[in-house]
Amino acid sequence: MNATLLNPFTITHPTTIQTSLVSVASFARFDPSGKLLAAGRPDGSGVIWDLDTRATIRWCEGHVKGVTAIDWSRNSRYVLTASKDWNIIIWDLASPCDPPQRHTTIRFDAPVVAASFHPRNRYRSVVSRIVLALLSTGEAYIVDLRSSHRGRFELGGEDDGDEKRTIMTTVRFDPTGRHVFVGTSAGTIEVYNTRTKSLIARHRIVGAGVIKGIVFANGGRRLATNSSDRTIRQFTLPTYPTPPEQNTTYESNKCQIVETELEPTHRFNDPISKVAWHAISYSPDGEWLAGGAADPAAHKIYIWDISNDGQFASALDGGREPLLDVHWHPHAPRLASTTKDGNILIWHCPSPERWGAFAGGFEEADENAWYEEGEREFDLEDEAELALRKKLQEDEDVDIVGGIEDSTSTVPLNDVTPGDVDLEWADEEGELDRKDWRMKIITVEGEEVY
Amino acid sequence: MDESTTDDDNASQTTEDDPQIPAPQRQPVQPQPPPTPSQPPPRERPDYRLRHTLRGHTQSISAVKFSPDGNLLASCAADNVVKLWSPFTGELIRNLSGHTKGLSDIAWSSDGQYLASASDDTSIRIWNVETGLTTKQLRGHTSFVFCVNYNTASTLLVSGGCDGDVRIWNVARGRCIKTLNAHLDYVTAVHFNRDASLIVSCSLDGLIRIWNTTTGQCLKTLAEGHDAICQHVQFSPNSKYILSTAHDSAIRLWDYHTSRCLKTYVGHRNEKFCIAACFSVTGGKWIVSGSEDEKVYIWDLQSRTVVQTLEGHSGIVVAVATHPHQNMIASGSIEPDLAIRIWVDRELPVAVP
Repeated sequence: MNATLLNPFTITHPTTIQTSLVSVASFARFDPSGKLLAAGRPDGSGVIWDLDTRATIRWCEGHVKGVTAIDWSRNSRYVLTASKDWNIIIWDLASPCDPPQRHTTIRFDAPVVAASFHPRNRYRSVVSRIVLALLSTGEAYIVDLRSSHRGRFELGGEDDGDEKRTIMTTVRFDPTGRHVFVGTSAGTIEVYNTRTKSLIARHRIVGAGVIKGIVFANGGRRLATNSSDRTIRQFTLPTYPTPPEQNTTYESNKCQIVETELEPTHRFNDPISKVAWHAISYSPDGEWLAGGAADPAAHKIYIWDISNDGQFASALDGGREPLLDVHWHPHAPRLASTTKDGNILIWHCPSPERWGAFAGGFEEADENAWYEEGEREFDLEDEAELALRKKLQEDEDVDIVGGIEDSTSTVPLNDVTPGDVDLEWADEEGELDRKDWRMKIITVEGEEVY
Repeated sequence: MDESTTDDDNASQTTEDDPQIPAPQRQPVQPQPPPTPSQPPPRERPDYRLRHTLRGHTQSISAVKFSPDGNLLASCAADNVVKLWSPFTGELIRNLSGHTKGLSDIAWSSDGQYLASASDDTSIRIWNVETGLTTKQLRGHTSFVFCVNYNTASTLLVSGGCDGDVRIWNVARGRCIKTLNAHLDYVTAVHFNRDASLIVSCSLDGLIRIWNTTTGQCLKTLAEGHDAICQHVQFSPNSKYILSTAHDSAIRLWDYHTSRCLKTYVGHRNEKFCIAACFSVTGGKWIVSGSEDEKVYIWDLQSRTVVQTLEGHSGIVVAVATHPHQNMIASGSIEPDLAIRIWVDRELPVAVP
């Protein structure tokens, strides 16, 4: 509601560094409200920053090796950290202590390199109880913590033996949570159904090499990949069939696998220096794509304008510290990028000072303009008439309590059409999330330490 | 907001869209499109009756505030002490002492565990209500601190001083994050909006200013007239409007997006003192304010008529507060009365917990 007052200009991608957080982190993720930032550190701790005060408010200390992935639950109450120490820990930030209490610990038999909450279930449940994890051995698991579905399911585990097994290099839920997208070392993207854990599609991407990263935009209809051939590709995804219930035989499932080559709608690369990309991130509206360049001597973020046919828009220069990661804010033109020295740079789009704002009733004009005088603008009017008119105008009712817009409002949950088995399955055991949970302010004594 | 102003044939055009034309002060504002659907039909008048009289302060009372859960009432006065009362029984529960000079304002954190107090000793203290001890003392103001408020998350404090500065503090660390050279005179009120993206401040220099919390930029200045020195300002519960009280004995409700005054409440007297006003939303929608004629006035939000006056104080009423859940009003007055009075709407009896 205050967007027009706060930023009257329409630039929607960040342009300059607002602040730098000294965090010794390797990457950082905004929470869904955009007010907090979780940073993963190579020493195994996850640090929660409050962006209002630009100070650390929680230290999630529980891993003994570097943190590799962080994800937030819908209302920012739970934080998932994955680590090279073979564990995933889900932290409950509502606990009134620092470090916060663990909600769940999930242990694997190899280092975890990526993990995330199910995006659908997290709209609703107290804690997201479906977790996707990728191990350094190239195996991906869906861990279901719900009592009626409890289990650990390997994706593609029952693959036939004669085919050479591909290593999974990246995994992501699509934004609806219906599918899991897996990038492999063989340059393919495999699509699994989250409910049945069965492979439903396999896309070959010609010339891509190893798929390093996948991001989604437009509610999952658009996909961008980062791969070892130093090119970012954007695809429009087909719609996938819903596989039948699990009691059908494995063979019948297999028949339905869609095997296609996906043709990219756009390719993005740096034509001159041919840098590789460490990370890619879409803006929340999907109109911009940011790529963090793997330049060994500079901190560069390239921004492409997707709404304008993928034209290169700008390159943000963040100084000399090489870039490791980049992540777009959930609803504002802000970015968090992490440097090799562990500093988190917050990028924003500054609004210029409007000195006219200091004088009541004045409006600043950029250029001289001829003012068109209204017909009766400077006529003298009867004071009594004016007072009467003002009185009449004041009879209009005002609403002082209602109409509160919530910037973090979530997608309404009545979007499940009956018979949509995938979403119904994901919503099972979904207790209503408490939006009104509050993080306790823990007073810090003495000086701040990093 | 997209409330496009409708064109009135007769009214002269003075919206912010007209550049370069200094807006004459008393120009008519344009009719406002009907806002959101109105509340249930006509409410009767409230019927507040005196429930308790709390005595204990030895010098002029400057502020009273209910805790967010409604179980405590905090008051502060020029006698250096914050007092905590039970609004249901009228008992004094605890004194918070530590300030070396008089107090001007207090504010509760959203969880009700902490209380911030602004003092003439140029510091702000954050009290742990449970233990009665000071957890942080915020120093930085170069002059008396006149007003203080928390954001909804209670991570930030905003304070205004007699030097014209507005300061934003990190509560957990007790540090000043930002200083805004906001005004040229006493900053008499500061308030965060719901999501803490904006701060509204007002000062005896006659201006109401709206600030961007993150960048500290001034976004807007509102001024009604040279005789209308504003001395109290706050956002409405939904943060769409601001309510200001001024020394021309008028309380105004502003749409700060269009800089228009939507409602004016008159009838009381307010020419010298900083008198607070507040919204009452637990029963009917009222505006409540103290007055220099030793009464508390209650207006109907929409019709702007005085629906009740509460008599009983024998001093100027400068502090009022409304209970967060019940139809209860607390009012505090300066010398010679030095009493806090609790008023309860007779229609809805209050259950003593």
